[in-house]
Amino acid sequence: TVTEQSTSIPLPGVNVVIKNTTTGTATDFDGNYQIEAKKGDVILFSYVGYQPMEIIYSGQKTLNIQLKEDAAQLDEIVVIGYGSTTKKDATGSVESITSEDFTRGNIVTPENLLSGRVAGVSINTSGSPGSGSEIRIRGGSSINASNNPLIIIDGLPIDNNGVNGSNGILATINPNDIDSFSVLKDASATAIYGSRASNGVIIIVTKKGKATFSATYDAQYSFGELTDRIGVFSGDEFRQLIASQPVNGSSLNESLLGTASTDWQDEIFRNTVSSQHNISMQGSLFKAIPTRFSFGTTNQEGALLTSNFERRNLGLALNPSFFDSHLKINLNANLAFEDNRFGDTGQIGAALGYDPTQPVYDPSSPFGGYYQHRNGSLLSNGTTNPVASLLQRNNYGDANRSYGNLNFEYKFHFIPELKAVLNLGYDETESKTIDYTSTLVATNDPVKGNSSFGTQKRTNKSFDGYLNYSKEFGDVRTELMTGYSYQKFTNNGGNTGNRRDPASFPSTFADPDVVLIGFFGRANISLLDKYLLTVTYRRDGTSRFSEKNRWGNFPAAALAWNISDEDFLKDSNTISNLKLRVGYGITGQQDISGNNDIFLNRYRGGDQNSQYQFGNAVIESLIASEINPDLKWEETSTIEFGVDYGLFDKVTGSLNFFQKNSTDLLFTASVADGTNFSNSIIQNIGELQIQGVEFSVNTDIVKKEDLNINFNFNATFLKREIKELALGQDVRTGGIAGGTGNNIQILREGEAPNSFSVFKQLYDTSGNPIEGAYVDLNGDDIINDNDRYLKENPNADVILGFQSNINYKNLDLSFNLRANIGNYAYNNVNSSRAQYERILDNSVLANIPTSILNTNFQRTSDVIISDIYLEDASFLKMDNITLGYTFNNVSKTLKSIRLWGGIQNVFTITNYSGLDPEVFGGIDNLIYPRPRTVLAGANFKF
Amino acid sequence: CTADLDITPNDDQTTLSEDLFTNETAYKQVLAGIYANLALTGTDGAGSSNLKNIDAGTSQFGRVLLYVQSLSADEMIWSYENDPGTREIQRNLWTAQNPLLLGMFSRAHLSIALANNFLRETTDAKLDARNVSTTVRNEMPAYRAEARLMRAMSYYYMMDIFGKANFSTEDDALNSQPPAYDRAQLFEFVESELKAIDTDLIASRQNQYGRADKSVAYMILAKMYLNAEVYINESRYTDCVSYCEKIINGGYSLATNYLHNFMADNNTNSATNEVIFPIVSDGLTTQNYGPTTVMINGSVGSIEVNGTEVGVSAGGWGGALRVRKQLANLFNSSFANDTRNTIISSGRSIEITDISDKDSGYILQKYSNATSTGTFGVDQTFVDTDFPLFRLADVYLMYAEAHLRGGGGSLTTAVGYINALRTRANNSNTITSGELTLDFILDERGRELHWEAHRRQDLIRYKKFTGGNYNWVWKGNGSNGISLPAHFNVYPIPTASMAANPNLTQNTGY
Repeated sequence: TVTEQSTSIPLPGVNVVIKNTTTGTATDFDGNYQIEAKKGDVILFSYVGYQPMEIIYSGQKTLNIQLKEDAAQLDEIVVIGYGSTTKKDATGSVESITSEDFTRGNIVTPENLLSGRVAGVSINTSGSPGSGSEIRIRGGSSINASNNPLIIIDGLPIDNNGVNGSNGILATINPNDIDSFSVLKDASATAIYGSRASNGVIIIVTKKGKATFSATYDAQYSFGELTDRIGVFSGDEFRQLIASQPVNGSSLNESLLGTASTDWQDEIFRNTVSSQHNISMQGSLFKAIPTRFSFGTTNQEGALLTSNFERRNLGLALNPSFFDSHLKINLNANLAFEDNRFGDTGQIGAALGYDPTQPVYDPSSPFGGYYQHRNGSLLSNGTTNPVASLLQRNNYGDANRSYGNLNFEYKFHFIPELKAVLNLGYDETESKTIDYTSTLVATNDPVKGNSSFGTQKRTNKSFDGYLNYSKEFGDVRTELMTGYSYQKFTNNGGNTGNRRDPASFPSTFADPDVVLIGFFGRANISLLDKYLLTVTYRRDGTSRFSEKNRWGNFPAAALAWNISDEDFLKDSNTISNLKLRVGYGITGQQDISGNNDIFLNRYRGGDQNSQYQFGNAVIESLIASEINPDLKWEETSTIEFGVDYGLFDKVTGSLNFFQKNSTDLLFTASVADGTNFSNSIIQNIGELQIQGVEFSVNTDIVKKEDLNINFNFNATFLKREIKELALGQDVRTGGIAGGTGNNIQILREGEAPNSFSVFKQLYDTSGNPIEGAYVDLNGDDIINDNDRYLKENPNADVILGFQSNINYKNLDLSFNLRANIGNYAYNNVNSSRAQYERILDNSVLANIPTSILNTNFQRTSDVIISDIYLEDASFLKMDNITLGYTFNNVSKTLKSIRLWGGIQNVFTITNYSGLDPEVFGGIDNLIYPRPRTVLAGANFKF
Repeated sequence: CTADLDITPNDDQTTLSEDLFTNETAYKQVLAGIYANLALTGTDGAGSSNLKNIDAGTSQFGRVLLYVQSLSADEMIWSYENDPGTREIQRNLWTAQNPLLLGMFSRAHLSIALANNFLRETTDAKLDARNVSTTVRNEMPAYRAEARLMRAMSYYYMMDIFGKANFSTEDDALNSQPPAYDRAQLFEFVESELKAIDTDLIASRQNQYGRADKSVAYMILAKMYLNAEVYINESRYTDCVSYCEKIINGGYSLATNYLHNFMADNNTNSATNEVIFPIVSDGLTTQNYGPTTVMINGSVGSIEVNGTEVGVSAGGWGGALRVRKQLANLFNSSFANDTRNTIISSGRSIEITDISDKDSGYILQKYSNATSTGTFGVDQTFVDTDFPLFRLADVYLMYAEAHLRGGGGSLTTAVGYINALRTRANNSNTITSGELTLDFILDERGRELHWEAHRRQDLIRYKKFTGGNYNWVWKGNGSNGISLPAHFNVYPIPTASMAANPNLTQNTGY
């Protein structure tokens, strides 16, 4: 029997060979093996992640072996595209995070297991329940095309687009089923995914079945509370304001005031209770098939009234081996049921602005008993009661997802160096959405409210196969891999429209299919285990481009040198590991959602509200669609220098310098008017450059029997700059609230993408801003668009992550901190609301932020572009802190219980005046607030 | 299986062109697409747009035309100046970056592209190849002439507004960089084109409602001739008079009630006798944020909350539109009962000293989503009211003006036309031939045609738009009006349009 040294658990699949022969076998699930050997033969036991062992056979009948885990992290297995390698042999920038390193806390969706953990990876999640995240690896290498990384679950690349009714592509996945993440960052690592790899790749590996029985049960309860509100006037303050503050020179009508004092933010937000339960079982089914089964439920209440997220997950993993482990089959099948009730986030703004002198309820109101501004039974113009708007609407989404893959790995019987892998993947999400409002909803419209029903279905089918050949020739180890991949995505659905409105029609949609086909190969050559070379090549075809442009070639190469294995460092006590890496490669981008068939000559008919009339009869007009038959790949070339280091056997880490240049950007730019069927189409123009430095360090400060302290620190410095734009022309972007079509950001050559473009505010001698007065920067005596200047951008210059785990006897403590430095945010809440004229909301009164007292501005349109609303939003956040205690060997069956408690969103240190400095895209227009959550949980192991 | 990379559209609203024309009704539908570009901004509802870098609502043809011709002049004020571009248009501060100007330039050029495409797809060679039936082929000369008419109309507006256009015809390739034509070249092209299609166009008032006939071509010609001194520095008033006569002889008559022209049923009521070319709008099937939707919702008063009177929600758009003092003054006390006077002044001051104060200034109620029989349009936002782009009353006024400017015709006839308009408006103050002066006509045009997207062109012809001899409130960003430099007689070429075509150069002064 072969067992694991520290736990005595049998190890299946250990290679047992007689050295210098082809005679060999592998252990079964119970670690047993049989081999014929002669006295004096050297038997070699090897297993990835363990130190190999050689035994000189002395004729005994049974030979029990204990394999020792390879302490050096260098041999940690790293999953890379279409295969795996060891950390020591890796030539690219790849970071692997396994379950013990995961970020802890209130983890509802899987990406948060990675929050703050990996240099170069930023994850921004909103506060809404079950919400998706914006994941960026090295800032994103595109401007108009997708900046989302490619996410692969057990070999199945998933679609980056979600469905209506779901919170996003990762929201359906149970974080508890995840075993590890591999983050591929540089081109030498990602190029094997060719056309989809420019924004990095995240490979998720789920937990597998095991031969021995174990089971876990996790329960977690959390209690959330919002800790902050946007400052607005209270009822009494508001009454005083109305009495004293003229708007545009005329005093306000006090008779519109009510007698109540309502804090509308308190009325729409609530404290929340949420729970998660997970059961998993591992063991051998029919004593032959290592199996894992998991079941999880999550119920998360949203801080905004009515919003709620529920999910149930079923997972099954079957991992049998046949023919002495020559054939391994991995089946991974998952079902997820996601039920959402969405709270209308627009009501957050409505609550800010709602008259605080009015009550929530009004028994005489014909609108369901809620107070509304009205004149008899007729609703007045202006905002409607936000509490009513939330409670009278049920916007429900129900997404069912089934995904998984079936993986065959066959090691040829006569050529054990050759391995064939076949991977079949399937992912289907079907959703239903119901949007139903009460018929007592506040409206003067003859159509009372909404009742609509929608469906959507996305499918993703993937097939790939590859051959892998690895052999040693003396001091040279080679590994060659070549394969083929096919993937097809579909998306369609429909909506009934408002069934109460005779003018509303049902509609359907069906996206063009997206088909991606690739041929790929990779060669790894290692000389003396010290000099490593990796060459990869992929040729990809996409259905998004015309026949002449659809194929692209994506090569990459990397060299690595394990200097610490050289004689002059081999015995160093200081430097335990040192590796230099250099890599270069080209990756592609073709993800232009919404333009999947722009190369085709198409016409589009108007929908039922967009017809024309000839002779007073309706005729469906057909309008030629914009066309670009010349569209081709956007290409990103990456060059990277990296150092992986280890010091005193305690400290490990890496330092990377990289530069990415994206050329032929898929960019929406003007075409000469009259020569196409739009004024602007997506084209290949422009260049974006990203330069960066990443640094990480992992330290085991103390590593003793009773006490372990380690920390992980990572830092990312990023600079993104537009080198070239279409026609050298600025592009305004970053739409803001407060008027139709206002933009606050700009794309300009030589600047960071989405730099803020603002007017320079003038101040009087006592330092107060002068309303509507700006510096005439071009000196032409007119203040117009030409006087806007560029100031800062939404992206952080430096991103820091810090995490620490402390174990003392049975006690464990962990926390993590994150900081962004140099990110700016435009406070759109103040810019569009903190002006006195906003007190008049049509014919009724409205509340405004108390920050008005800092400026005393009257008119939104005069000040909305002022740089006074642009703020430094650098922050330091403690995302979570968790304390746990483990009781071991509680009973014969119960191996351990861990009880733990923690806090999510512990604190934020920032100078930013808004609610939360971490906004999306640098424009703070009332994000769904992130609550502070107190967590308690228990973890049982059987 | 790399053949899977050859995809076709799956959506039932989208068709490949190679499949489209196997169905012969497609020709009429593609023709309807050219017309629809004047009413719709996209194919998927009022908020959709096939133009980019401009808000869908504000790239609607009729709406941006209203902005550049009426909002920029002495008749209209838009309260929401945080809607980009509106402030600069109504205060005459525009730059080449103005999004509304981009909307105007791009939308009109899209009509050109759609017309060129139709002409390419309906050549004899293509029709032969597709074995098109005789029935459809018999209609084809009229279809093609209408496509050319819509193209010429776009060039006409570009000539008037920008003084330039990208010039491309059905012979030019897609995504090319076409030559830029100046006013003289455009004048020559539009004139010859409109004359060339005359035989193929359907006779006046004989085409289906919503489609253009000979009179539309005559109307454009008449307007070009009336303004020829501005465009090409030539006097063409005689041509103007003769084309006005051609229109008048086409069988038009004034609507029985002035306001019928601006009502929800103006596609069926007596306005059909008067309207020469409408931009169609329908609360159900042709929803848009076009000029009638904007003016009906926008003219609802902030104090009056009188939306239900005109068939939209009570508050409408909260007082988005008001009247400048100069327009209000055209309707002095002797016009109190003139039906063209729809001004509501009670409880309001005539002055607008603060544009964002929606309670100041007069409002008016010219357009309505109510029908002549007292019912209302189907929707409370999107109106059924078609926008009368060209109508007979304008022709009467043009005739009179061209006559006074030496274009011939008869003074008696001219006075008769003016008095017909007054009589129709229930105004007993008819004029004598001695009272018919050019200044009178400009004022009368204001009274008859305000808010119909003509005013800027009229003021330029009268040399009153730029310079300082006529200052209306907020002209040049002065609350009482200040002089404008002469280069403001044309708008600047939008930056984005110019960058995409190096052959286009900026107008002098910008």
